[in-house]
Amino acid sequence: MIIVTTGTMLPFDRLVRAMDEWVAHHPHEQAFAQIGNGAYEPRHMEWVRFLAPSEFTRQVKRSALIVAHAGTGSFFLAAETCKPLVMLPRLAANGEHTTDHQVHTARWLCDKPGVYIAMTERELPVAIAKARVGDPVASQRTAYAPEEFLQRIRRCLVDPELPPIPGKARKGSR
Amino acid sequence: MSDSRAYLNMGERKVKVLAIASGGGHWLEMQRLYPAFENLDVAFVSVHPAYAEQVPNHRFYVVRDVTRWDRWGLIVLAAQLIRIIWIERPTTVITTGSAPGLFALAIAKLMRRARTIWIDSIANCEQLSSSGRRARYVADVWLTQWPEVERPEGPAYWGAVL
Repeated sequence: MIIVTTGTMLPFDRLVRAMDEWVAHHPHEQAFAQIGNGAYEPRHMEWVRFLAPSEFTRQVKRSALIVAHAGTGSFFLAAETCKPLVMLPRLAANGEHTTDHQVHTARWLCDKPGVYIAMTERELPVAIAKARVGDPVASQRTAYAPEEFLQRIRRCLVDPELPPIPGKARKGSR
Repeated sequence: MSDSRAYLNMGERKVKVLAIASGGGHWLEMQRLYPAFENLDVAFVSVHPAYAEQVPNHRFYVVRDVTRWDRWGLIVLAAQLIRIIWIERPTTVITTGSAPGLFALAIAKLMRRARTIWIDSIANCEQLSSSGRRARYVADVWLTQWPEVERPEGPAYWGAVL
């Protein structure tokens, strides 16, 4: 089974429609989509608008592959479940997000093992075919941020004096 | 166990943290900071009621999920945040980005003179997000998770959640 997810904040009909058509052309494939508040309702795959994180993770664990927008949440999910991940970035020009940061995220993640980027929906079938036979996303060593970063954030939370910040010298501390 | 937490003091005030992140990646990035909150009094704010299951033993609030396109939504969001900050009286507000985080920092600064921490999402790897640029005026600690995005005048780079 293939999991399709757009994230839950903004619609991403271009991805959902492309995957619905892909499933229509691959009748032996099964897919399950989380479509958020998209207007396009799939006809060839099961879908929901929103699943709770625990339930969604359970579904993903049963799947062979994730096809998602280029959101970092989807990357974390693929790393947690060790699944191959196909990503299609949202474009600001299409009104799919406020900025093109998903294109930047795609450029960042494209070299990671297990990540297969489709820059347009036309590239999706090839990316899926590669992901089918390729590696999964490598699991993260821990569920948490690196210790050094955690300690610096911790200090900000509990220290009466703020550590020095560039450009904010003195201004920030009480 | 959270009720037996040792309260730490920040100057004269007991540390009370409000941790706010919208959905998806923002929320997962906040989860990755969880060890930094150990033994602290932390309330979480996000946009889906189902997320409460991931922060058991903490107070959890839901606010409206908005983008800056949604003017009416921003008004509703501001009202919700004013209420939450009134109830919680945080000394510190931390966010991993997005419009709800920016609003929370600004409102907590005005209402509570809270310490404010902005961690721009790791998704913004080539430039700061638009909320992140505006956050410089309300954040005491203004961070990017990418060394390439760091500037001498801020934002600073201290590391990343990954």
